[in-house]
Amino acid sequence: MTPDRSFQQLVQQYLDGTATPDGMQRLNQQLRTVPEAREWFIELLNIDSALAAALIDEPADDVASVAVVATVSSGPRVQSRRGLLTAATPALIAACLTLILAVGLLLPGRQPSARVVSAAGVSGMENNEILRGDWITIDAGTVELLTTRQARIVIEAPARFRFLSEQRLQLKSGRLAANVPPSARGFTVVTPSGDAVDLGTRFGVDVPEDGQAEIHVFEGEVIAQPSRSGQHRSLIGGQALRLTDGPESNRELRSAAFIHPDEIGSLHAALANGQQQRAAEALARLRRDPALIALLDFESDTLPEGTYRMLQGRWPGSRAPEFSRIGDHIKLNVGGDAEWPQLTLAAWVRLDRLGDPYQSLLHTDGWDDSNPGQVHWMVTRYMTMRLALYGNTLAPDAIEPDGYPDSRTSVLPEQGRWVHLATVYDAEQKTVRFYLNGEFDSETRQETAHPARLGAAQIGNWNRQDRKLSGRIDELVLLGRALDDNDIRQLYEAGNPYR
Amino acid sequence: MDSGSRTQHQRFLRLFTTHEPAIRAFVRGLVPSRTDADDILQEVAIVLWEKFDEFREGGDFKAWACGIARFKVLAWLRDRGRDRLVLDSDVVEVIAAQSLDQEPFLQQQREVLETCLKSVPAEERSLLARAYQPGAVIRDIAETSGRSVAGFYQWLYRMRQMLLDCVKRRLAPEGA
Repeated sequence: MTPDRSFQQLVQQYLDGTATPDGMQRLNQQLRTVPEAREWFIELLNIDSALAAALIDEPADDVASVAVVATVSSGPRVQSRRGLLTAATPALIAACLTLILAVGLLLPGRQPSARVVSAAGVSGMENNEILRGDWITIDAGTVELLTTRQARIVIEAPARFRFLSEQRLQLKSGRLAANVPPSARGFTVVTPSGDAVDLGTRFGVDVPEDGQAEIHVFEGEVIAQPSRSGQHRSLIGGQALRLTDGPESNRELRSAAFIHPDEIGSLHAALANGQQQRAAEALARLRRDPALIALLDFESDTLPEGTYRMLQGRWPGSRAPEFSRIGDHIKLNVGGDAEWPQLTLAAWVRLDRLGDPYQSLLHTDGWDDSNPGQVHWMVTRYMTMRLALYGNTLAPDAIEPDGYPDSRTSVLPEQGRWVHLATVYDAEQKTVRFYLNGEFDSETRQETAHPARLGAAQIGNWNRQDRKLSGRIDELVLLGRALDDNDIRQLYEAGNPYR
Repeated sequence: MDSGSRTQHQRFLRLFTTHEPAIRAFVRGLVPSRTDADDILQEVAIVLWEKFDEFREGGDFKAWACGIARFKVLAWLRDRGRDRLVLDSDVVEVIAAQSLDQEPFLQQQREVLETCLKSVPAEERSLLARAYQPGAVIRDIAETSGRSVAGFYQWLYRMRQMLLDCVKRRLAPEGA
């Protein structure tokens, strides 16, 4: 039953803060004596409370939510936070520290929720404070934030987020890695498809532009709260979950897909040093190389055919395809029917996972007698690089276990970082040379050495179950001549995003 | 934190996050604004954690928490309510008791709200979202939406009322 108009007016004035003392008296009297009025009043305020929670995920009107980064403001607001804590008895403080936060309550006023401690490729943000409620949009680059409770958060562009409180971060889109110390336990990431509540840990949250959020727990424990089912799930280190419209689905952990706090500093240093410009110049030189067969930097408007997700490349605002689902791949058709007595393959790669059993960098289609010399380039289960040409055989003194030329050094330590992989094939010299991050690794001699053939090929998942790629690939170069050690080192140094 | 209290803490957090919407709504019903409710809930959370040892495993956490929240609200009314237009404490007591009785229905209403919210046109929903944002300044929002402050409050009230009607309609038994 809906109460009469005069009672409703009293309720409205009470809620708006415009009630008169006389009105309050009448409201109290009605609530005291009319059970139906009371029931309705309780229901209305129940809706009011639930509405605040439901609207958190609502896309905010852009008039109100210009991406604002406040300039550094001095201490009073921060001090008022401390005042709140020190007002409690010492015995309480420990509980408060874990708790206020744990709960992620919304405080009135506009306190800064976090400070930007470093920003790679995002101008004007360093050292700024982020106020509660302000939407922040980063189109390019990576920022590292330190919340007032000392949670360290790295967010990679493109991303849109805001702090609902110092302990609740709403991530509309983007990729975030959080390192949460005990003082910030309970830190929560709110996404369109559910929340991740930290229980003292390191974890990552990935929210695609219009997709379903994934929670990856690197260490510790996180409670996943899908907004659809409301069924909470505990995730521990090594587990990952996708929050979907249907039942939640387990995912493979890809901790290396996230930029972690220890990486951002060296990304930033390289940028500050003008590295991005040097890389662009080196690319321009490569494009003029008459022996260039293909150069994919994924920056042009027309992207290669395939299924993959575009993310940020090595530089702020640059792009690179990411392969994460089974079947993700790029189709490529370069080099035609030509025979290449010399061939250089090089790429910047960020591997999320290794070793199960092949990470495919470039696989030409087929692999049979009809096409001797066709090229397969990959990272093996031994976490080394391999360049296999159909019909080629190893020299008798070769030590490779599988019969194909393999590099010696494992790429494992480079997992979760951009790494430069290169290999140089020379059919006349009968050699395959491998390079890791510009350093010569090893040379394998071939007994039979066909000229290399390219043509139709795939990057990522190849038409066999055991070939895939988990990670990003940026700047793939195919060159119809043999680069020497010095060339490769220069290629690496010019394109290195770290310093 | 040793492993025992750590486990205890995690158990607490699980229970609290599960029942937080109910406890929040309970407190909200007793005080004039959501901001007041947020402040009180923060204190309630601390007390719940302090007293968590007294809570026996398998007990009704929601009822236990609302009991403590009720005390906190009454204390808040005493301390800060004197100069404000708040409900009388005897009225608060009756509302608290009735809220607990109604809680199963209130919970359903909270759950159905999401569905009803979807039927609100996008433009109005986004205006609502702005008004419900933490730290929102109604005066500014009213201005940008071309309404007077009083007109905007009126609109907000009608929206809540409309959503409540929608929720009740959806939960009404067939044919009722």
